[in-house]
Amino acid sequence: MKTVFPALLGAVLALGPMAAVQAKTPADQLIVGMSLVNLFSIDPANAPGLDASGINANLYDTLVKRDQGNPEKHLPQLAERWEVSEDGKSITFHLRDDVKFHSGNPLTAEDVAWSLYRVMKLNFGLATNWKAYGYTVENIQALIRASDAHTLVVELPQPTDPLLVIDSLATSPSAVVVDRVEVLKHEKNGDLGGAWLVTNEAGSGPFTLSKWSANDALVMTRFDGYWGGPAKMKRVLLRHMTESQSLRLMLERGDLDLAYGMAAPDIKAIESSDKLQVQSLQRGTMYYVAMSMKQPQFANQKVREAVRNLIDYQGLDQQVMPHYGKLNQQPMQLGLEARLPDPGYKLDVPKAKALLAEAGYPDGFTTTIRTLSEPPFIDIAARMQATLAEGGIKATIVPGTGNQVYGAMRARNFEMIVARGAERYPHPYFSLRTFVYNPDNSDAAGLPNFQGWRASFFDRQLNELIDRAGVERDAAKRLALYHEAQTRYDQEAGPIMMISQMTDTAVSAVDIKGFTGDDAEATRYLGVYKQR
Amino acid sequence: MFASSASLLGARASGTARRAGTVLVTLLGLLALTFFIGRVMPLDPVLAVVGPDADSSTYDQVYRAMGLDKPIWTQFGLYLNDLLHGNFGNALLTGHPVLEDIKRVFPATIELATLAILFGVLIGLPLGVVAASNQGKVGDHVARVITLFGYSTPIFWVGMMGLLVFYAWLGWAGGAGRIDLAYDGMVEEVTGLLLVDTAIARDWEAFASALKHIVLPGLILGLNSVAYISRMTRSFMLEQLSQEYIITARVKGLSRRQVVWGHAFRNILVQLLTVVALAYGSLLEGAVLIETVFAWPGFGQYLTSSLMLGDMNAVMGCVLVIGLIFVALNLISDALYKVFDPRTR
Repeated sequence: MKTVFPALLGAVLALGPMAAVQAKTPADQLIVGMSLVNLFSIDPANAPGLDASGINANLYDTLVKRDQGNPEKHLPQLAERWEVSEDGKSITFHLRDDVKFHSGNPLTAEDVAWSLYRVMKLNFGLATNWKAYGYTVENIQALIRASDAHTLVVELPQPTDPLLVIDSLATSPSAVVVDRVEVLKHEKNGDLGGAWLVTNEAGSGPFTLSKWSANDALVMTRFDGYWGGPAKMKRVLLRHMTESQSLRLMLERGDLDLAYGMAAPDIKAIESSDKLQVQSLQRGTMYYVAMSMKQPQFANQKVREAVRNLIDYQGLDQQVMPHYGKLNQQPMQLGLEARLPDPGYKLDVPKAKALLAEAGYPDGFTTTIRTLSEPPFIDIAARMQATLAEGGIKATIVPGTGNQVYGAMRARNFEMIVARGAERYPHPYFSLRTFVYNPDNSDAAGLPNFQGWRASFFDRQLNELIDRAGVERDAAKRLALYHEAQTRYDQEAGPIMMISQMTDTAVSAVDIKGFTGDDAEATRYLGVYKQR
Repeated sequence: MFASSASLLGARASGTARRAGTVLVTLLGLLALTFFIGRVMPLDPVLAVVGPDADSSTYDQVYRAMGLDKPIWTQFGLYLNDLLHGNFGNALLTGHPVLEDIKRVFPATIELATLAILFGVLIGLPLGVVAASNQGKVGDHVARVITLFGYSTPIFWVGMMGLLVFYAWLGWAGGAGRIDLAYDGMVEEVTGLLLVDTAIARDWEAFASALKHIVLPGLILGLNSVAYISRMTRSFMLEQLSQEYIITARVKGLSRRQVVWGHAFRNILVQLLTVVALAYGSLLEGAVLIETVFAWPGFGQYLTSSLMLGDMNAVMGCVLVIGLIFVALNLISDALYKVFDPRTR
């Protein structure tokens, strides 16, 4: 006892000087700190989360990719070129013939077709995207097929703007191509390799998966045979770290190259650092306040308008949302051509009170706000609680985990909610479908994938406008339909009120170059390097 | 003579059987309680699998695949049946069998908890003895301040401050994680305990890196044990020091040191065993806050993440392990009682 502790202390002290000369991150490895807590599966058929998308973007390839975030323009990837038939009912993709999977197997059109069939057959959440176009497990093999080893024919089952399908092939996490031969080697009980692909990969992307230890670390190693040329980094190591201050300390010490998910106060504190660079990344995801129109008070349009006047949009934007999001009042992402300017909603308590009185609630009412017990959700809810109270609405905040909050919303069991959604690439059609569209408002319809259904909002005319936009191939007419839909949603005071569009912040060492964030966290590390 | 030794053996056998029965009933009760609490918790494991935007057909398919459509008693029965066949099920979080996961995360916690309890014992015991033998004097007050600090400061805050001072400013300690990333995966895993594995591999640079990473979280985690163990030691010692045999010993001319350490301290060893075993047990449950601050991939983080997801296979597996730890520690401390206390033989 007398000797052990001093010995231990001595050992630590002796290690002290080592730290001063400790090597920083290796020049050919990228060390990333981020939360991996939501990373459950990397099976492309069942990996809806953003974390998984970010990893699969590096392990797999898609046929095409978006050009600079423009949802109507796409660039070649596995497909060198493609053409849409004159009647707009089919698209033919011509694939590169020099692509190999990590296994060494050649990538063929058959693999592409099978990958999409697999998504439909397994029927996890990501199949929803393809079902919306009319694909089913029964028809997909006939409609999406290889006409030869490097030609893929995609027929559309119902009238749809082919650009939408091409965009889904560029952006859906389920549109990546898996190595059919390799996956089927690991098939068990007809699961199409489902159990194996949860923690393994069979892709052709610039990196291979070397190690994934849940809630600890994930390591990707460069694939030297990548068709687009090898990546500059030999290894990319993602370390699971959730504590923002630990991330900050490790970045400042040079033990991390890049960090995601840091809290606003820490980002603010290092903005002036000359060793670190802060990059703000605009995401497609929107923060919103939603009301359930199942509640009699919120079914009343005047009440919804009153609530809209009790949201301190500008105050939230300036005081709560820096580094979390950017003011956006439309159900459509910033920067899209189809998006109308913000209608200019602002906090107006007298107007809200007058509207409440007109609606028959001169003394307000009581309600609950469900939200996630983490910033910025809880801060938005607290601010909402205060401004609602000014108008006479007494709201109780019910905090919970994401699972509890979204679970309640999916079950249509809520009054008000502060949440976020549309975790996909910005697109006018998909945004309107997510937030506004609701084909059937009955409980029995069970359409929780539509947030409009969750909020019990149903407007036949709006549905028609969105449906028409989804098949209209004339760009000008399509634009007019999107504008009309936004105007109508504004007039109706739709119950899902956007307040902010998510921004994510990546903080990196100044010597990290070639890093460009992606709209949906599907950032590729292919071109990232260190300038030392 | 023969008959009496036979009856002694019989009594021992029945004692062992009774103890085994108690252990089984305890574990079964623990599992049942956790299972049913898990089912009434407002957490939906299906959502964790399908994502919040899945449609109803996908949701229903996974709901059935997870067996949630069956009556709760059937679900529990099926779970027990699997358990008896050594199958703890797969974890949602990792897709791996729960046992495999626990085997992976547990060494990280064992390593940390062992360092923490060593620290707790090496500092806490002498501190408690010094406090008791100097009751009301400076030594007692100093010990009180130290234990108060150990009890009352939030471990999360101490962790952050520790990182700031010893890692960021002084550079003495390693940062988050169990080892520098350069050594990650470079040492062959034998026991999962990095200090041991790096020593077996004779990779002393990696060993130094692992040591640099574990010392700070280990010591901080041990602070609470220091407080607990020293307070308990003080109180046991005070009780002993007021006994008549102590006065007799002093009257006989034994030195203060001999009385305190040779008589009083020896007599509290048995009680201290229980205290240390319990403290070690609670450290082995995992320390989620310290694990979060230091990005330590241990049992506490695993259990908390699983709980947040409603991943009941993982939670049940963890609960069973915790139950077994306490049972084992109890059995070990019972056995050690017999070593230290002749009356219990």
